[in-house]
Amino acid sequence: MGNEINPLVEFAVHQLHWVLLFMGTVYAFKIRWILKHPAGKDRQAPTGEANQTSKSGAWYSLFSIAMPWTLNSYREKPMMYVQFVIFHICVAMSITMTIVFSYRPVWLSAPATIAVIQVIYAAGFIVGLYRLARRVFSPVMRMISSPDDYFSMALLVVWVGFSFLVIGQAPAFAVAIGQLDASQVASTQLNEIPLIAYYFLTAFFLIYVPFSKISHYIFYPFTRWHFGQTMGHRGIYPLKRIDKMKAR
Amino acid sequence: MGKTRSYKAQKVVDLMKAKTKSRQIMLSLESCVKCGQCIDQCHYVLANPDDPTFAPPYKADKLRKFFKAHEDWTGKVIPWWVGARSIYTDEELEELKDVVFGKCTGCRRCSLVCPMGVDMATFNGMARNLLYSVGIMPEGVWAVAKDQWEIGNQMGVLKEDYLDTLEWMEEELQSKHNDPSIKIPIDKKGADIMYTINPREAKYDPRSIADAAEIFHFAGADWCMPSEGWDMTNFGLFVGDPSLGAAASSRLYTAAQELGVNKVVISECGHGYRSTKCEGPNWAKMDLDFPMESSVITMLDYIKQGKIKVDKSKNSEKVTYHDSCNFARSCGMTEEPREVLSLVCSDIQEMYPNRQWNYCCTGGGGAMSMSEYAPMRLKSAKIKAEQLRATGAKIVVTSCHNCVDGLTDLIKHYNLDMKVTQLVNLVANALVVPASKMPKVMKEVSMPLAGKKILVIDDEPDVRIFLTKIFKENGCEVFEAPDANQGMRIIRDKNPDLVSLDMILPHKTGEKLYWELRKDEKYKKLPVVIVSGYTKIDDPKIDFDAFLEDKGIPAPQGFVEKPIHPDVLIETISGVLLEKV
Repeated sequence: MGNEINPLVEFAVHQLHWVLLFMGTVYAFKIRWILKHPAGKDRQAPTGEANQTSKSGAWYSLFSIAMPWTLNSYREKPMMYVQFVIFHICVAMSITMTIVFSYRPVWLSAPATIAVIQVIYAAGFIVGLYRLARRVFSPVMRMISSPDDYFSMALLVVWVGFSFLVIGQAPAFAVAIGQLDASQVASTQLNEIPLIAYYFLTAFFLIYVPFSKISHYIFYPFTRWHFGQTMGHRGIYPLKRIDKMKAR
Repeated sequence: MGKTRSYKAQKVVDLMKAKTKSRQIMLSLESCVKCGQCIDQCHYVLANPDDPTFAPPYKADKLRKFFKAHEDWTGKVIPWWVGARSIYTDEELEELKDVVFGKCTGCRRCSLVCPMGVDMATFNGMARNLLYSVGIMPEGVWAVAKDQWEIGNQMGVLKEDYLDTLEWMEEELQSKHNDPSIKIPIDKKGADIMYTINPREAKYDPRSIADAAEIFHFAGADWCMPSEGWDMTNFGLFVGDPSLGAAASSRLYTAAQELGVNKVVISECGHGYRSTKCEGPNWAKMDLDFPMESSVITMLDYIKQGKIKVDKSKNSEKVTYHDSCNFARSCGMTEEPREVLSLVCSDIQEMYPNRQWNYCCTGGGGAMSMSEYAPMRLKSAKIKAEQLRATGAKIVVTSCHNCVDGLTDLIKHYNLDMKVTQLVNLVANALVVPASKMPKVMKEVSMPLAGKKILVIDDEPDVRIFLTKIFKENGCEVFEAPDANQGMRIIRDKNPDLVSLDMILPHKTGEKLYWELRKDEKYKKLPVVIVSGYTKIDDPKIDFDAFLEDKGIPAPQGFVEKPIHPDVLIETISGVLLEKV
């Protein structure tokens, strides 16, 4: 038998799919807008080695983010790459957790799973704070930042913080919605304040994201694909002889 | 009521809306997350660490704000929140000019490190085009673009001068090898190769044409040079103007089609290669049925196929290779030049970073024609200078004419003990001429100017390099000055035997300096030869004769008109100095 759930939490959980639908609709418009712009055609004869084609260049470009040795900035500063990975894994996990926590909290109820996720959230939270501080204190970053840049970053940091707090309640929530027996968990007590805050924050986050810089991941595949197509067609991607380039 | 916008600003807004219809440009403007990864990849930033306005995202943001204000949903509704801002005044356009022309060479180093794939160089080009369309650009850029529109090449070389230069080089080669059969064929119908060059070669570096001709001759190539459409450079790339790009490149393509050649070979020039081979067909909207290749590939093939023999011991000084941005980052040409280098040089030192991660020579993107930004360019060249110095090489080789000028300028500025050359010069120098074709009589070289001290005052680095080379070849000691004030200092310090003086100089004109010299008791007899391309026909304000009459001072000892023919120059200078003796 489950616990009583605060009606506010219940309301938030049951409205989540509408919020997701809203986000999806805005994204659909965004993608339509991108596709309305015609892509330029490259008339030059293909150049480069056999493995350097428009297609191979596009795929290489798309996945170059997973190959930090192909991006000189990350090659020179590997810690920047480490924090980039941690932060993005953390954000992706938070989004996934929103859905899993709401509909299948039982999957998150094992203490080991919770511990691992909390470690990632903690690391992501620290990285987020560092990134926010860098944006505030570095003169260049400050000059190029808009209110949206600060707000988006702060929002993510706070949201990840709440995710850290809430994940621990997955077993109790699973009991509350009847997916787990109370005897299988150490505590069935739901701490409702962070849970309510988390859900409303999540709802706000999902509504805000399509209008903010956080939506860059919608542009990412298009931008990298087209850039890679050109670079592949002209014999630049995949990069040759990276081994001989050396960082400075 | 909205803010009023100047006519030019309105025009730029309208044009921007049309330009950003391209998906690639729109995505590059929309995708930046301002992560800052590109910041310290730019040589301007590294050389000016305390000035955040050099950072690529800051520079890009100047245009991005403007784009967002007109094209992005959020930028239209909540501009202050997303940092969107339109352009209203001509002063703002001038400010944008200093960013897109003066603080970016479009080297694409930042584009290649951007995790999002934002191609800043491409939209920087677009921004240049917007400004160019309303007449806002550095004066030098305007002059070059005008020459390319009007005369058909970016240095305003007249057809007769170009053909004269080819004839002169042909005679030099015939004389060098004592072989009248060596030719530089012009407009040969059905030839296998049409060789195209940078007008800088015809105007300032004709030896490179001779070197290429020598290579073609000994390789037994069926080749020619066209009398029209021979300029493979394209200022359309530097001003981001597809119309100029199309006009210039289609001239070359039409020449190739009319001659019915099998292949176009492009001499060593980074932006020329990119413009002709990559961007040109897009600008001209032409699907071409003949291949185009860099002369680097042609030379490599000749050596590999045994068509020419080379001896690497002839180039024994330590060399390093500088990857031109357009060659490496926009065309993927990184290994072929190194292969050629390894075949013709015996001591090679790699420079780091290299290939696609190499630093710009700082003369790219048309920077050499923007004299107003020269001090900033040279300051930012510190990074390149350090990179060059670390190699310990005596010669830096590059396959780009812009790089030759950019590197030569910074080498002088930073007092590096190096010189710049191209692969074609090294290959020609390493050529092993078959015994049957050895010259029978060596030409005797006389040096009437040996030991003379000559000061060259000219604001164009190209001209200074060219004149210096000619004077040095004739045994002179040469000093250079980019303006009249520095020239005056050198006159006082070094006491030259003759001054080669340009008329159009920044800050103080050549005629003013001439007047000052003639007023000065100590220098009133110092021989001065005016070397200038401007006459009162070009600009009625420049009427030197009237100036002399007005000031009551004697005419200079000589005049040499640009484009400069070395024989005429040496003849004039020798005449002046020998007369003085």
